Amino acid sequence: MFQMIQKSFWEQVRKFNSLAGISIIITIVVALAATIDRGGYLLVNTIVTGGMLALVSMGLALTLGVLNIPMFAHGEFFMIGTLVGYYVFNAISAYVGSHPESSLVFWGPMLTIVAAMIIGAVAGVITELLIFRQLRKRSRENWVMNAFLLTVGLSVVLVNGHQLFFGADFKGIVGYYSGPSLAIMDVYISRDRVFALIVAAVVVALFWFFMTYTRTGRAIRAVSQDETGALIVGIGLNGILMLTMSLSCALAAIAGAGLLFMYPSYPSIGLEPLYMAWFVVILAGLGNVLGAVMCSFMVALLKVLTIEYIGSGWDFVVPSILIILILIFKPSGIFGSEVRGVLDK
Amino acid sequence: MLLEVKKLNAGYGYLQILRDVSLNVDTGEYVCLVGPNGAGKSTTLKTIAGLLSPTSGEILFDGEPIGGLPGNKVTRKGISLVSEDMNLFVNMSVEENLAMGAYIIRDKKAKKKQLEFVYDLFPRLAERSGQLAGTMSGGERKMLAIGRGLMANPQLLLVDEPSFGLAPQLTENVFQSLDVLVKKGLTIMLVEQNVTKTLEVTDRGYVLENGSIELSGKSSDLADNPHVRKVFLGV
Repeated sequence: MFQMIQKSFWEQVRKFNSLAGISIIITIVVALAATIDRGGYLLVNTIVTGGMLALVSMGLALTLGVLNIPMFAHGEFFMIGTLVGYYVFNAISAYVGSHPESSLVFWGPMLTIVAAMIIGAVAGVITELLIFRQLRKRSRENWVMNAFLLTVGLSVVLVNGHQLFFGADFKGIVGYYSGPSLAIMDVYISRDRVFALIVAAVVVALFWFFMTYTRTGRAIRAVSQDETGALIVGIGLNGILMLTMSLSCALAAIAGAGLLFMYPSYPSIGLEPLYMAWFVVILAGLGNVLGAVMCSFMVALLKVLTIEYIGSGWDFVVPSILIILILIFKPSGIFGSEVRGVLDK
Repeated sequence: MLLEVKKLNAGYGYLQILRDVSLNVDTGEYVCLVGPNGAGKSTTLKTIAGLLSPTSGEILFDGEPIGGLPGNKVTRKGISLVSEDMNLFVNMSVEENLAMGAYIIRDKKAKKKQLEFVYDLFPRLAERSGQLAGTMSGGERKMLAIGRGLMANPQLLLVDEPSFGLAPQLTENVFQSLDVLVKKGLTIMLVEQNVTKTLEVTDRGYVLENGSIELSGKSSDLADNPHVRKVFLGV
């Protein structure tokens, strides 16, 4: 027993000796140093941005790892989330305005998130059924390239669809929760940020639990690791692929609705989260879902620090440089890829 | 008759591999399919297991047609394939791999019973239950692949090249475990390159050449057949 504990302890240490472990430690140290230097709001910003980024990039990593699709329309599912959030929350606000005692004051924002999640999931199912299943049926030759082009096309259609039906103006809300900011030590955090943080934490935790312990979650991982193996043990591919797509779109939509108080809805709102999520996915190693969660926080920290120390125009430049360096020196990402990458197949 | 294959034609795209292959396997039998490289042995197994669709012909399992069903449905009917490249889930532990093998079994007790059965058959896997499948040696992975196939409690186990890439000692172990399974009443269809050994252990055999069945009969008779001796044993 003691030996086993000792053994697993050393395994953990060895894990932290790897590139992934080193980068996690560096991230934590840098985050702490910056916090001491400039104040706790940096840490809060990093965690809120990172949490939401994790939702988007987990979905992206999942589509890449399981469906083998380099998804460039993922930001548009974020956009769908913001749109659903805007309309649902406005309806709820209107109702709350005339019934100020209603319990919707508290539950309204959560309802909004759930609505965005459901619509996002439905959008994912439709995308899979109408686009990728059709492509899969017709040809699996040159799959990665064809799927990539389709996602770019889908992105254009969705962005312009938004503009056509909902207009190109900013559709934002004042905030989910009114009331004074919460103070932790001497850091003031707006209630909305706390809300976004809790949503992100709960969803990431649920998602991790789902992927690790449930039969269906394991089946998704099995498909990502070996499609033929999954078929052999009796996993129905079509169902799993559809579920994965809807799951990853739902995650993006949750992030969209969760950040609505910061980013109003407009047609090309999805571009920034898409790029950031790609940074994360490349950094983590293509298709590595749990690594993507870690790397989301790293990229968020990098972004927050860049804005803080260099200036707010640079927050895309620095991560881009990092990505170029990674692609040159460690193309498999710092966490290695848990699943086959896009190019293996 | 547990498995009946009638005039099966199959291949990849326009490339036809199998030509009118007919064979059958009875319950409890240990049947082998031997033949030179590229004869279509693996293709035959893949087509039976539903990984390839036949272009024509019939596959009956327990009297029910299963030709053209996708692989997951065939597994649900009671056929497990242990493929040549094993197709393990390399980033899952041994135990998780075995759990995935029992994916079609919903009953927890039945799952546990299967797991105990597999661990009993391969104590090595029990020792390594927490290890990632991708980090195991070739022999252990072979055991895991067979174990995973058994987890679904199949009526028919299709085993593709169990000795491929293994040291002689390990090959011997794998053959022994297959023997044990047959004695326990499992029906096995084995594809092997190691013709001498295979014809020694199996009951009946088919010789596949250029995608069609050339010879069939009792394994001991096949081992004495002059054609087999000339082509495979070089005698």
